[in-house]
Amino acid sequence: MCCTHSFEDRRPIDAVSEKLDLENIKGMKFFDPHVHMTSRTTDDYQAMADAGIVALIEPAFWLGQPRTGIDSFRDYYSSLIGWERFRSSQFGIRHYCTIGLNSREANNEKLAEEVMDMLPLFIYKEGVVGIGEIGFDDQTAAEEKYYRAQLELAKESGLPVQVHTPHRDKKRGTLRSMDIALEHGLEPGKVIIDHNNEETVKDVLDRGFWAAFTIYPFTKMGNERMVEVAKQYGPEHIMINSAADWGISDPLAVPKTAALMKIKGISDEAIKLITYSNAIAAFAQSGQIDEKDFNVAVSVDQSQKFEGNTILRGGQQPRTDKSSIIIS
Amino acid sequence: MFDYDAERVRAVLLEITRANISPDAGDWFEANLKAKALPAINSTFSVMPRKTGKGVITVQEPDFGTISQIKPGLSLQGWSADRLARVCFLIHLDPSDKDTYLKTIESLFMAAEMSELTALYSSLPLLAYPEDWKMRCAEGIRSNIADVLEAVMYHNPYPAKYLDDKAWNQLVMKAVFTDKDINQIYGIDERANAELALILSDYAHERWAAGRSVNPLLWRPTSKFIDARILNDLRKVLSEGAMEEKVAAALAIYNSDSDEARALLSDYKQLVSMIENRDLAWDRLYGVRETGYEMRDTRSEIRDTRSEI
Repeated sequence: MCCTHSFEDRRPIDAVSEKLDLENIKGMKFFDPHVHMTSRTTDDYQAMADAGIVALIEPAFWLGQPRTGIDSFRDYYSSLIGWERFRSSQFGIRHYCTIGLNSREANNEKLAEEVMDMLPLFIYKEGVVGIGEIGFDDQTAAEEKYYRAQLELAKESGLPVQVHTPHRDKKRGTLRSMDIALEHGLEPGKVIIDHNNEETVKDVLDRGFWAAFTIYPFTKMGNERMVEVAKQYGPEHIMINSAADWGISDPLAVPKTAALMKIKGISDEAIKLITYSNAIAAFAQSGQIDEKDFNVAVSVDQSQKFEGNTILRGGQQPRTDKSSIIIS
Repeated sequence: MFDYDAERVRAVLLEITRANISPDAGDWFEANLKAKALPAINSTFSVMPRKTGKGVITVQEPDFGTISQIKPGLSLQGWSADRLARVCFLIHLDPSDKDTYLKTIESLFMAAEMSELTALYSSLPLLAYPEDWKMRCAEGIRSNIADVLEAVMYHNPYPAKYLDDKAWNQLVMKAVFTDKDINQIYGIDERANAELALILSDYAHERWAAGRSVNPLLWRPTSKFIDARILNDLRKVLSEGAMEEKVAAALAIYNSDSDEARALLSDYKQLVSMIENRDLAWDRLYGVRETGYEMRDTRSEIRDTRSEI
C-alpha cells in the first residue's frame, strides 16, 4: 500500500531541475521489489523495460476503492498471479507478487476472517515470493491481530515477509512491527521492512532486517536523500523500490535513483546491490526467484516465430511511435 | 463419464510423467495422486512445478501414438513437466460424485495462476463429464492471456468436439484476431461453416478498409463455402495479395468443391502444380519468395522456384 498524499504536500519544484538522462546506467539491470502495476498503464511497462527493469514484485495492497466481499479479494489475488503477470511478460519483465491482507482492510474483521481463510490457497502459487504487504496503518487492535496471524502464516510457509510501515507515528510503528515479528520467531533476514527513512534505517539494519526505501515524490523518500543514506550506511541489506501505484508516483524511480547514485559517485557494485541483488537475495528465500528466468521471457516472446512467419509468441506487444502524431 | 479410455490414458500419462521428472518427484507425485480433501488437492496442484520442474518433456514414440489413437487431436508436444503432471493429476481425481468433481476442478480454475490455467484448459478433452465443460471452454476463449488461449486452441480436441457453431466461430475469430497459428487448431477444416466464412470475409474487408494486412490463414476455413462474395475476395487476393496470400487463396480454392472457383486457378498453373506436389500447403505458405517468381509466367521453370523453398 502506498502513499496517500494531499496536494498541499507538494513542494515547488526546484528552479534548476536535473534533466532526465539514463544514458549513464545503460546496460544495467534493475529489480523493482515493490510496484503496483495493476494501477499502471502499458506505457509504464514499456518505459520500465526500456530503462532496464527486468523483474518486479507487485505486493497485494489496498486497491484504492472499497472491497466489500470475499470475491473481490479472490479476483484481485487471481489477477496478480494471472493477468498482471501476463501483461508484464508482454514487455519482457518477470512479474512476481506477494500476497496478504493489507492493514487498512484488516479493520473489517468479518471480511478479514474470510480473507485469512483464503490466503493459503494463494501463497503457495508459483511466483508468490512472500507474504505482503502487511503491517500497520492506523495501528489498531484489529491490524495487530491480522499482522500477527499473517506472520504465523509466513513462518508456516517459510515465505519472506514484506512489511508496510505506517505513515503516521512511523518510527514507533516500525519498531513495533519488528518487535512483533521477532516475538513470533521470524528470522530478521527473512523480513523486509519497507518505506524506511533517515529516522528508521539504523534500527532496522542494527536488528538484521532488510531495509527497503520507497522513492516516491512528496510523501516518502526523494532520491537525493536516498543517495545520502546509501553513502552513510553502505549498500548492505538496503534496497530501493518505487511503490508506484494510483497516486502521483514514478515507476522509473529505481533506474532514476541508480542514475543519480552514479552521478554522485556511488560505485557500480554498490548500485547493483541496492537496485538489484539485495532484493533478489531477500525474496529468493521463497524459492520462487531464479535469475535465469529473467531473460527467458524476452527471448521467447520476441524471437520465437511459427513456421517462419512473423507471428510473435506470447503476445509480445508491438511498439508504437510515441513521438508521432499519427496513430495507425 | 469419460468419452475415452480413461484407464489407459491415466496409465500412459503417469508413465510419461515419471519418465520426465526425478525419481523423488515421481514418488511424491504418485503418493499425492490419491489426494481426496480439497486443501490437499489445491496444494498438490499448486506446488507441482516446485517438485517436477518446468523442463520441456520428451514423449517416446509408442506413447505418442497411443495418445493420438485414444484422443485424436491431442498432442503433448512442447508441454512442460509441470503442465503434464498437472493434467495427469487432474485425470486421476475421483469422478464418482459428479457434483464434488465439478466443484473441485472449477475451484482450481477460480484461483489459478497462469501456468495452472494453461494446464487446466489443456485437460478439458480428458476430464469426466465432458458436456459440463462447455461454458468453461468458452470462458477460456475469452482470456487475453496468450498461453491460456493457446492451451484452448492448439492441439486440443475438446472445442471441435463439444462447442456449438457460435462458440467455435468465436474461437476461430479470436485466433485470427490475436495472430494465432490457425493450422494448430484441431478441427479447423471439419468445423468450418458458412457463417464463419462470412465472418472471416467481413473481417478481411475491415482490415483492407483500414489499410492493414490480413492473416493469409484466414482463408483456410472459407474453402468449402465459397459464394459469390468470397469468390471476389479470393480473386482480389490472387491478383493483389502478397505471395503468401496468393498461396493461401490458391489453397482455399484448390480444396473447394466449387467449379466456378477452381476455374480461377487456370491462370495459376505453377501454384497448382506446387500444391499437387505438396510443396505448398497450409503449413507451408511461405515456400515461395516474392522475388524471382512470376506468377503468370508459365514458361519459367518450376525447378528454379523450388530451389528457393
